[in-house]
Amino acid sequence: MKTRIFEKFTVVFAWLAGLVLLAGVCLLLGYLFFKGHASLNLSLIFGDTPPLRALLLKQRVFEGLFPAVAGTFVLVVLSIAWAIPFGIATGIYLAEYAGPRVKRALDALFDVLSGMPSIVIGLFGFSFAVFLHKHYSDRIGPCLLISSIALSFLVLPYIIRTTQAALEGVPLNIRLTALALGATRLQNIFLVLIPRSVSGIMSGIILAIGRCAEDTAVIMLTGAVASAGLPRSLFSQYEALPFFIYYISSQYADSEELMQGYGASIVLLFLCALLFVTAYGIRKGLSHFVFYRP
Amino acid sequence: MTEAIKIKVADLSFSYRDRPILKNVNVDFAENSITALTGPSGVGKSTFLMTLNRLWENLPDADMTGTVEIRLQGRFRNVYAPSMSVTELRKMVAMVFQAPNPLPMSIRKNIAFPLKLAGEGNREFMAHKVEHALRMANLWDEVKDRLNDDARTLSGGQQQRLCIARALVLEPEVLLLDEPTSSLDQTSIAVIEELLLGLKDRLTILLVSHYLEQVSRISDTIVRFDDNTIIS
Repeated sequence: MKTRIFEKFTVVFAWLAGLVLLAGVCLLLGYLFFKGHASLNLSLIFGDTPPLRALLLKQRVFEGLFPAVAGTFVLVVLSIAWAIPFGIATGIYLAEYAGPRVKRALDALFDVLSGMPSIVIGLFGFSFAVFLHKHYSDRIGPCLLISSIALSFLVLPYIIRTTQAALEGVPLNIRLTALALGATRLQNIFLVLIPRSVSGIMSGIILAIGRCAEDTAVIMLTGAVASAGLPRSLFSQYEALPFFIYYISSQYADSEELMQGYGASIVLLFLCALLFVTAYGIRKGLSHFVFYRP
Repeated sequence: MTEAIKIKVADLSFSYRDRPILKNVNVDFAENSITALTGPSGVGKSTFLMTLNRLWENLPDADMTGTVEIRLQGRFRNVYAPSMSVTELRKMVAMVFQAPNPLPMSIRKNIAFPLKLAGEGNREFMAHKVEHALRMANLWDEVKDRLNDDARTLSGGQQQRLCIARALVLEPEVLLLDEPTSSLDQTSIAVIEELLLGLKDRLTILLVSHYLEQVSRISDTIVRFDDNTIIS
C-alpha cells in the first residue's frame, strides 16, 4: 500500500515539475511577445533603409538591428567553425584512442573548461587581444576574430562531450562489423562509427550554437560594441544582439528604446530558432548522406 | 575430401579482465571441411573464433598467449607475427556474427563495403563481385531487383545470408561463423545450412553451434568445449 502511494506520488510530482517548467517557458515567451510585439516590424531591423537594399549591402542601416543580427550570425558561424574540427577530433581521441590514465586526466581538464565562467573566458580573450596589440601590430585589438575564438573555447566542451558519448555508445557488435571485414581503425571510425554518431554529435553542435548566440560576457570584453555597422572584416569590431539587449536595457532613455530591447530579444530568439532548424536539417540530411550516397 | 591441415592452434590461453576464458587449447582444423564447435554457454567458443582473426584485440582488457598458424595462400603463417597485417588477415579469415549485422546502407553497398575498405574503386568490377557473392550466398534471385533498398528491410534469414555474402566477397580462405542461425526460423536455418554445405569445397568453415541436430547434419568434425578448454 505504502509503495503504491509512493509510486503514484512520484508520477504526480514528475507531472507537476514538468508543468511548472512548461509554464515558466510560456510565461517568459508570453511576456516577451506581450511587451515586444508592438515594436516588431521591418523598421525595427532595417530602420529607414529599404530592406532589399540593406540585404544587398547597397545602403547602410543606421537605426535598425540589421548590423547586430548580421554580427551575431557571423559570430555564431565563425565560433562553431573553429570549435567543430577541434571538438570532434578531441572527442574521437578520447573515445577511441586515449588510454585510461590520459582519459581520466583529460576528462578532468575538460570538466574544468566546461565549468569556466564565461566572463573569465572573455577576460582571457581580452588579455590575448591586448597581448597581440602590444607585441605584434597596433591594428589588432578586440575584434570579431578574437571574440569567435574565445566563444569557441566556451562551447568546445559541449562538442567534445557529445562526440565522445556518441562514439562510446556505439554497441560492440556494430563496432566489430567493419573491423571483421578488414577495416583499419581509421576506416572504422570514419565509415561506421562517425556516421552512426552524427545525430549525437549534431546535438552537441546545436547546444553550442545556442550558447554562442546568447553569450554576452565573452563578447562585451572582446569586441562587441554598440555601434559599428555591419562586420567588415575579421579584425573589425561588430554589433551583436545580446550585447545590444544588455546595452539598451541598462542605458535606455525612453520607453521606445526599451521596446527596441524587447524587440531585439524576440529577434534573437528567432535567429536561434532559425539556426536550430538549419542544424536539425543538416543532421537529418547528413546521416542520410553518409549512408546512402550513391 | 582433402585431409590437409588448415589451422593449427597451440597452447592457446585467453583471459578477459583477468578471468581465464580459455586454457591451453591445442587443436588442428582440416581444410575444406565444416568443423562444429559446441559446448555450454560461456566456455569461450566465440572468443576462440576471435583469436583466429585477431578480432579480440579490439576488446578492452583482454589478453592472449599461445600461437595460431593458418595456411594462407599456400603456406603456414603465424597470424600473430609482426609481419602479418591484421587487415590482410581479416580479409582471408572472414567472420559472420550471431545476430545479422547489416550496415545501415543499401544491399549493394553492404556487399561492396569490404571491397571499398580494400581500396577498390572500379564500379564494374565491384558490381560483378557483388553479384558473384550474392549468388554464392543463394540470395541473388531474391534481391537482384532491389539492390538499392536498405539492407535492413530484408528478413532475418535474408539479412544473415547478406552478411555471409559480405564475408565472402573478398574470397576468404576461412569462414568463421558464430551461431549464425540462432536468431532465425526453421526455414531460414535450412537455407543457410544448405548454403554452408555448398561452400565447403572452396573454404574451411568453423561453426559455433548449440544445436546438436544442426551439428550432426552438416559438420564433418565436432570439437567440444568445456571447462575453458577442448575435451574432444
